[in-house]
Amino acid sequence: MRSLLLVLLVALPALGQSNVKVELEDVTDNRFAAGMLTGSLELRVTLTGTNLDKASAARVLIREARDDKGTDLAKNLKTPDFFGREYNNGTLQVGLASPSRAATRVKIKGTVELYVPSRDAANAIVKIDKALARLDAPLSSKALKAAKIELTPLSPAGYRKALESRKLDEKKLAEMRAEGKKQGVPEKEIEMMLELAQALDSSDREVAEGSIFLAGRRDAFDRIYRVDILGSDGQPIATPQRSTSMRGDDGIMTIVPSSAPPEDAALQLYVITQKARVTAPFELTVELP
Amino acid sequence: MKKSFRLARAGQAEACPTFSTPNEGWASARPALAMVMFVAAFALQAQKPAEVVVNQVNDRRSASSTFSNLTIGIELPSVEAKTVAASRVLVRTATDDSGADLVARDAEEPMLYPNVRDEGAISVSMTLNNPARTATKLREASGEIELYMPSKDPNSTADIAKVLPASGKPLSHKALKANGVEIAFLTAAQLDAENRKREEYARLELDESEVAVRIKDPQNRIHEMGYVDAKGELQRVSTRGDEGLTIISTWSGKPQPDWKLRVQMKTPKTVVRVPFVLKDIALP
Repeated sequence: MRSLLLVLLVALPALGQSNVKVELEDVTDNRFAAGMLTGSLELRVTLTGTNLDKASAARVLIREARDDKGTDLAKNLKTPDFFGREYNNGTLQVGLASPSRAATRVKIKGTVELYVPSRDAANAIVKIDKALARLDAPLSSKALKAAKIELTPLSPAGYRKALESRKLDEKKLAEMRAEGKKQGVPEKEIEMMLELAQALDSSDREVAEGSIFLAGRRDAFDRIYRVDILGSDGQPIATPQRSTSMRGDDGIMTIVPSSAPPEDAALQLYVITQKARVTAPFELTVELP
Repeated sequence: MKKSFRLARAGQAEACPTFSTPNEGWASARPALAMVMFVAAFALQAQKPAEVVVNQVNDRRSASSTFSNLTIGIELPSVEAKTVAASRVLVRTATDDSGADLVARDAEEPMLYPNVRDEGAISVSMTLNNPARTATKLREASGEIELYMPSKDPNSTADIAKVLPASGKPLSHKALKANGVEIAFLTAAQLDAENRKREEYARLELDESEVAVRIKDPQNRIHEMGYVDAKGELQRVSTRGDEGLTIISTWSGKPQPDWKLRVQMKTPKTVVRVPFVLKDIALP
């Protein structure tokens, strides 16, 4: 029995658990009334523990968050994206619903998740040589195929065509309006969101020189942490702008490099595989300001 | 409401010192006293708190005190936004229902914030200290909303043509004169002379988007400056003080000879103060 316990303890790190702890840096209770904005409880946390420097990114997943008046603050939370460890001194933002004004503290249970690509280098770091040589055709890679990720680098013409097919017409607007109503979003708010979507729709059309466009499905983008462009020397080219625009389940990732990539540029994809994820449970009690 | 009337009356009486001369006898004081009563009564009418609508309450509470405050958005339905160039709220009293004083007494007097809305009613925002967490409402807040309305006085705006190339002489415009404002664009020779007087580290090196001007504005009337280009479009500028000179920079490149300088000034007619009183505003 004792040896079995020992084996289990030793096996835990291999399963991707860690001794990482979550410490509260700041808490902001941003409360609204009488307008259209809704409030939120924002926490800024820092991570402590060993081997954190091996993690490229981290995120906090909330399992339970409740104030001392019983308000559930974890309702309808979306899974956050991984956030690069190089930003904001490694701190992470956690957004929760607004607690009761009468509450004095909040108890939170959750998991901190680290993305450590070096734990699964063969599958999590995928390099595709001369990736931009064949545009408007899916990237060819065994590793991507095994991960069931399909991405297509687009030519400027292909990009414009893709935008045209995504254009918000009356039918799509009606579908978005119906979806908003179904989710109980107030009508005024829905109209504002649609106006914003239409504005973004028109701004989509500006193409910066040297931009790289990758088209794919939502489930593919959900599993990609980052895409680097590697120059002829194998070094990443600086990319001051990158964004992913989703329309339904279709997405386009736009990467704007600081200089036009060479013809033989490679793409290096960081894929979020199960083995590259390390988790640590945590509990926090937050005194409300 | 009664409280605000009392405050308005007291404020008005204090604002009329010529009516209270301590060495005069009661008899001689009587006409003056009657005058005070009349002015106060008039003021009561004129300073009736404005109709206001609270359109947002934001209690931002931060453990680190970063941007931690209570802001209240107020709309004045009777004032069109397009008539207001800028506004600020001067808070006199504010308490929550726990009795806490919410007036940020250590804060600097708020600046006039530019209005960007040109449709509907004007909306302003006031900033207070955070109420107690245990408080449930803003019991009362009062003060004045200051509106800068340039259209109320033709002497509030000066559009001056042919400011460049610089002549070095004070610009001539009746609105500048009416407000006691003097502006002179420095010539290259004047700038050289200025630099010769300065230590090397303090010498001015202007790029093509910048000009140096000398401004005299003893009554602090200038609200904003900008250029108007040949198409009539406003080219916004930033200004910075530099040892008695003002450097005007534009984001639109080199100011052109056909651009005008627009100076907007606050005059007694353009600054309108509207008293307000808020009561029992629920806290989020």
